[in-house]
Amino acid sequence: MNDPGISAAEEGSIERRDILKLVGGSALAVALAGCTELVGDDDDATTTSDNGDIPDEPIEAGLQTFREGAPAVLGLQAEYGAETAVRRINANGGVAGRQIELDIVEEGTEQLENYQQFVEEGKEVTFGPISSGGHEAMVPEIDDQGVVNVATDGTVTTLYEEDYPDTTYSFRFQNHDVMEALSAAIEAVEILGADNIETYAGVNPNYAFGEDEMAIFRAGIEQLTDAEEVYNGTPDLGAPDMSTHVTNINSEEPDVVFTSCWGGDATLLLSQGQANNMLDNTELVVGPVLYGSANDYEEGDLEGPIYSGSRNFYWDQPSTDQWSPAADLFDEVQDEYGVIPTAHFMSGYGAVTAWATAADKAVRLLGRWPEQEEIAMILEEHGFYTPAGYHVMSTDHQGYSNAHFGEIVWSDEVGGAVLEDVNVYAPEEVSPPPGMTSLDWIGSW
Amino acid sequence: MSRFLVERDGKTHFRPMKGLELTAGQVVLTLLGIVALFAVPDITSATALSFSIIHQGILFGLAAVGLNLLLRHTELVSFGHAAFFGAGAYGVAVLSSHYEVSSGFLLLLGAIAVATVLALVIGYLVAGYLDIYFALLTLAFNQVLFAFVLQSGYFNYNDGLSVRVGGDRPSLLGIDQWLVATLGTDPITAYNYTLYYLTVVILLVMLVVTWKIVNSPFGRALDAIGQDRTRAQFIGIPVDRYVWIAFTLSGIYGGIAGGLFALLQLHVRPEPVLFVFVSGEILFMAILGGIGTLVGPIIGGIVLIYLLRLARFYVEYYHALTGIVLLLVVFVLPKGMLGTLPEISAGLDRRRQDPTLLRDDVTTIGASIRERLYRAVSTVRIIIFGVK
Amino acid sequence: MVESLVAHTLNGLYYGLILFMIASGMTIIFGVLGILNLAHGELYALGAFLVFSIVGFLTGLVAEPTGHFTAIIFAVVVLLGSLAAAAVLLPVGATLEAIFVRPIYEREDVYQLLLTYALLLIFIDVMKFGWGTSPVNTTVYSTLNEVPTTELVGFSYPSYNIIVILVGTVVFAWLVWFFDRTKTGRIVRATAINREMSTAIGVSTDRTFTLVFAMGAFFAGFGGAMASIGPGPAFLEMGLDPLVLSFVIIVIGGLGSLKGAFVAAILVGVISRWTVGVFNLPQLELAAPFILMAIILLLKPEGLYGTWGEIE
Repeated sequence: MNDPGISAAEEGSIERRDILKLVGGSALAVALAGCTELVGDDDDATTTSDNGDIPDEPIEAGLQTFREGAPAVLGLQAEYGAETAVRRINANGGVAGRQIELDIVEEGTEQLENYQQFVEEGKEVTFGPISSGGHEAMVPEIDDQGVVNVATDGTVTTLYEEDYPDTTYSFRFQNHDVMEALSAAIEAVEILGADNIETYAGVNPNYAFGEDEMAIFRAGIEQLTDAEEVYNGTPDLGAPDMSTHVTNINSEEPDVVFTSCWGGDATLLLSQGQANNMLDNTELVVGPVLYGSANDYEEGDLEGPIYSGSRNFYWDQPSTDQWSPAADLFDEVQDEYGVIPTAHFMSGYGAVTAWATAADKAVRLLGRWPEQEEIAMILEEHGFYTPAGYHVMSTDHQGYSNAHFGEIVWSDEVGGAVLEDVNVYAPEEVSPPPGMTSLDWIGSW
Repeated sequence: MSRFLVERDGKTHFRPMKGLELTAGQVVLTLLGIVALFAVPDITSATALSFSIIHQGILFGLAAVGLNLLLRHTELVSFGHAAFFGAGAYGVAVLSSHYEVSSGFLLLLGAIAVATVLALVIGYLVAGYLDIYFALLTLAFNQVLFAFVLQSGYFNYNDGLSVRVGGDRPSLLGIDQWLVATLGTDPITAYNYTLYYLTVVILLVMLVVTWKIVNSPFGRALDAIGQDRTRAQFIGIPVDRYVWIAFTLSGIYGGIAGGLFALLQLHVRPEPVLFVFVSGEILFMAILGGIGTLVGPIIGGIVLIYLLRLARFYVEYYHALTGIVLLLVVFVLPKGMLGTLPEISAGLDRRRQDPTLLRDDVTTIGASIRERLYRAVSTVRIIIFGVK
Repeated sequence: MVESLVAHTLNGLYYGLILFMIASGMTIIFGVLGILNLAHGELYALGAFLVFSIVGFLTGLVAEPTGHFTAIIFAVVVLLGSLAAAAVLLPVGATLEAIFVRPIYEREDVYQLLLTYALLLIFIDVMKFGWGTSPVNTTVYSTLNEVPTTELVGFSYPSYNIIVILVGTVVFAWLVWFFDRTKTGRIVRATAINREMSTAIGVSTDRTFTLVFAMGAFFAGFGGAMASIGPGPAFLEMGLDPLVLSFVIIVIGGLGSLKGAFVAAILVGVISRWTVGVFNLPQLELAAPFILMAIILLLKPEGLYGTWGEIE
């Protein structure tokens, strides 16, 4: 970790003023970074401006996320994260004195309609969705309506890279997609060594996200090694049975299996994989989103070298022993919801934090409540802290922060999956520079 | 008597065209309906109703009108009508995102062409089938199409295609641009309003066309087919060919509706337009509104879409809410919302004159619920313990 | 190669027999009552949720297995739990038939569809009320796999799948026996063939219909229970795909034919697995059952073993 906020905290030499300065100078930013305790309670740094240009009424915000059925594994985490951020904001006096009222709705397949309905209801900001296809449909509508949306998750690589490079009001907190698939390739090479990877296989959900992840992993691993693809299974999203793909992997015996399966598909793949001894037939399984189901594995599912990414957040990195904001957050989530927070928790938390800290910054700059356009302008290249560390909302409207990868193992203490030997990848290591598309950039290695 | 008025059964009928005659009451209702349609944008801006959802409802309703042509007259239940709705929508999306067609008119023509070809092919294959076989065969073709689109990179999988060329909306016969240029209307509002009024015009035309079809010799032949195929065959109706034609016609309605839907949403994904449950929804819209009526499916479309899209904003158990509304329709409005209206108003009239009837109603309902529960319990007992 | 062909075929049998259990209920209901029950998939889902609660309770009573023998005991307990979960569906099915379905036998088919669709929506929320919105997992899959099966013949394959294949076959055999050899079964068949005649000889059609609907619900629930003690969780939308696939199966097999449903389920299961594993056509996996159905309907419209309105 080389960002200043966290390394200072690790050294234990944090000064109150340093934190305020680092985190952006406002009590709100400090609270959302989870550093209130480090600063102390006497917060004279409150910058709530009391002039009449700030509306009195609360901020009406909307979140759409998967609350029901199979994808709720991710969606509920995002909901918990957004709620937690809102709770912290409101406990700290709101954004420039305005409390946030968060309306949450099931996204279903009606992401576009949900956004329109939120705007019709007069929401000042909206968050979500999880679905990449739904998000793609929303982006131009968001620019038309001009109400800022910060997506919690859903995106395919091409969305901001190629399809909508000039969007104004649509943002996405989640890391640039390419990061997790590339860190999977790099991680595989680091563990097995480039010379020991001759074959690889994929099991990826049969929609654009899965296709994209596999394409990037393929490009990455073929740049780093001489490996050859021997199988790519594309199960239906929410498939009831993965055994075909497991059987195929068993007969091909690839060195590395890459899977972007998530939610119930991830648990299903691993538990059927274990039952069919898949881990005896491959050297390594890497999956960018396997940790998203941390709460749903059984101990036996995780035996063998299985490595997972955890996007922009892994709760124990830096270790909760040394980094109290993460420890506090973990405890709060356990108390409130009884789950282990995963990267999707941070998707919700970070999306709200990105917007709230930007709005807060805008108020301090302007001395009044900002227009949508002004918030959107400030969100571009806006940096802010969460307990996961430092994040930047880049000019391409995607979030950038460190990506994590580590071995996924069972922990009795936590009662779920944890990551061990976590490697942290800085955004510039695993994502293309501005203006370049991912595949071109990987090709230029 | 002007040439628009005719005398029949001692009543004056309004006759705007040959074969289309309306009683005074029907004229008033029709005019009210048309006024309501045109006033939707004003109604929605004055109330909390959602403009775009009502627009969507009308479009699905239009597809249901087409389905009803088949359902009401040939008595064939199509469980695969989303195939044509989706074909229309994807026709538009493919033309705009792969061929950069930006004229709304051409896009809509494309939608109609794709849906027509598809309906011709599927119709040819299914025309000879009846009842449940017809329903499930249409379902199968629908689902094959869905699976094909979902797994194809050309259609961009589950994420779908955009209906914008270079980020811009298609042009709607230039009307929207004209509004922007001359009246200074905001381009988005101009587009939405123009599209809405285009929809209304297309809808009215399609309704008149439906009326004409139904009351033509062809329509009567379809009725004969619906009542008894063998007899229809005997009196010389080419049954399979007529069913094929009716099926294709009904698919075209779906294609037009789907094309307009793509222009409204500006992004087309497989699940909202092609999934087999969408076929079910289109079918249920027709039943909900009243299959015996011409415009019932439109009402059914608006109501069902409203429930499916927006109930989640107001209640936690929104599936159940929709389910209960449908149950009520099945048991309380046996001919659909519009179809049962005459009976209800008659029933209300009687009760207004004789309030004691109400009390009887309550006791009847209570008794029948008790009786059914009792029967259910005793049946369960018999199943579990047998008859003594 | 041979080993993976065997594995793919077993995968297909496993999948097919899960589908058979759902479709058997649907084909019985359709064959006798003439009702295409759209809520059937939700009865399946309800069985899956119920088994989560019941098996969770039962396995709390027995010790974690330590060897082969205790694993078998454990598996028996789980199977009894699945039967208990499915048994809950008996009164549910009976009540549904008596209160909702019975009044509309005489109405047009489309109203039956609308009614059962309404029930489908209501059932989703009943489960949401009962078990919440998140998927639930029975977590007995890995323990069931400790039951010794294929390793006895020197082949490594999950025992749970083998158990499903066996149980599905037993269900089929039982149904055939029931409709062929028992008095009640024959009464049901008689009613299916001719309602008036059965009434004339003193059979209560009301009671027969309720029994049949309850049985259909039972097997849907049992299928759900068997699926849910496996590797996947129970979740709210889980009923939709099996519902559509049940249509496919009962049409391929011939409406109302149990034998047909059995053969069709196995065909659909094995072909969909071979499409990916053996023929290497992953893009056709989703469409395969529907293509099969369209071909069969176009070539042999009455299905493989079709006879109208008759259970055999």
